[in-house]
Amino acid sequence: MTASKGKETLSDFQKVCLNIAVIVGSSLICLLLSPMRFPGIELLGVAPNWLLIWVVIWSIHQSAVNGAIAGIVLGLLQDGLTGPFPTHALSLLAVGMLTARLQRQRLIQENVVLVAFIVFGMAVVAATIMALQMSFQHLLWPNSLYVSLWQIWRTHQRVALSSAILSSLWTPALYYPLHSWWKR
Amino acid sequence: MFALRRWWDRYATRAGLATLVVGLAWALRQSQGAIIYEIYQVLTAPLQPGLTQVERLENAYILELQQRVIELENQNQGLRENLNYAENQGQVTVAAVIGRSSDNWWQQIIVNKGSSEGITAGDMATGPGGLVGRVVSVSPNTSKILLVTDPTSQMGVKVSRSRALGVVRGNVDGRVVMQFFETTPDVKPGDVIVTSSYSRLFPQGVPVGRIESMDLKKSPAPEAVIQLSSPLNILEWVTIHPFEAKTDVNAPPAEIVDDESLH
Repeated sequence: MTASKGKETLSDFQKVCLNIAVIVGSSLICLLLSPMRFPGIELLGVAPNWLLIWVVIWSIHQSAVNGAIAGIVLGLLQDGLTGPFPTHALSLLAVGMLTARLQRQRLIQENVVLVAFIVFGMAVVAATIMALQMSFQHLLWPNSLYVSLWQIWRTHQRVALSSAILSSLWTPALYYPLHSWWKR
Repeated sequence: MFALRRWWDRYATRAGLATLVVGLAWALRQSQGAIIYEIYQVLTAPLQPGLTQVERLENAYILELQQRVIELENQNQGLRENLNYAENQGQVTVAAVIGRSSDNWWQQIIVNKGSSEGITAGDMATGPGGLVGRVVSVSPNTSKILLVTDPTSQMGVKVSRSRALGVVRGNVDGRVVMQFFETTPDVKPGDVIVTSSYSRLFPQGVPVGRIESMDLKKSPAPEAVIQLSSPLNILEWVTIHPFEAKTDVNAPPAEIVDDESLH
């Protein structure tokens, strides 16, 4: 929408600067949204995973390597917001790479329902990788903080399902502005 | 060699950029996201509740006071001295809860007071009703509190009536479970749980909750599910008490060493 007006007047350098501003700004918005709990955003005490939505939308426009880098960067940032273990860098790295692999045909980009489905699947993948890290820690370290595998995986069910539903429902809110900017 | 050179010519900028961005992200992670929380605090400032809502919490305070009375009566009965009590009533800070943990696997809250108000990592946070958690990191105007329901949070507690000792640990599912040290502890549902003098990260005698149900046959140690007295999921205000983690506790040395992982 804004693009049609400014297409001719912007130089390449300005476009690059604007693109960087959009990337940094939108990921910062996602970071700031993640500690927030306003009504309509919570389901069974679980909130949507905004950074995961961002990584998925980024990866359907980018190569696998770029998807992986974005996953690592945002994963490290999310670690800073919560705690160092289990790390989000691994789960978002997998999400970025898998999503970029999926988009062999450009069809996926254009279909918001498909993107929401990918977010649903990736939220489950991300939660599984987190639960796997906890399970490994439980099995390998004698003084593990996590009491039992049964509890980890029961929580995994709850977290994976509700964050997958909420994240895929909130996908369009991020998808439309970002996609209309990146598809050009 | 030539192929490497060509790769470098093509991707040098991208590789450099990627390293830079990952490095920056790493630095932010090491700083515990301080910059992001500072921005968050500024942006959510208009949404934060005003100080006038304190009256609404009065009922919960009464519950906390009742539990403190029970605790004090028990201490008097056993002719115990509560030496740390006066020290614990130091200067406190009241802070508003402005956010929850950024991921669903953690049980944390973000509050709007930080190191500029004198809060340091390790301080204790209580809410209406009792213990809430412990400050784990601070930025100038925010601090992150690890709730007692987090799986990485553990503390030494005792049953106020019978002095049975145990450890309270959070579960990944948000419940709180107490494991007793004895095999046949003297407990019954409804007993008040307070922090014990063995707790290195919390002062002793702070109300935690009540026993909801017990499984005394559980191996290796009997367990009880604790109902926390402070409503953690609707918490709006917390009180932060300055506290220095104790280094000399009346415990065998082996336990002190082990305590690094077992708070």
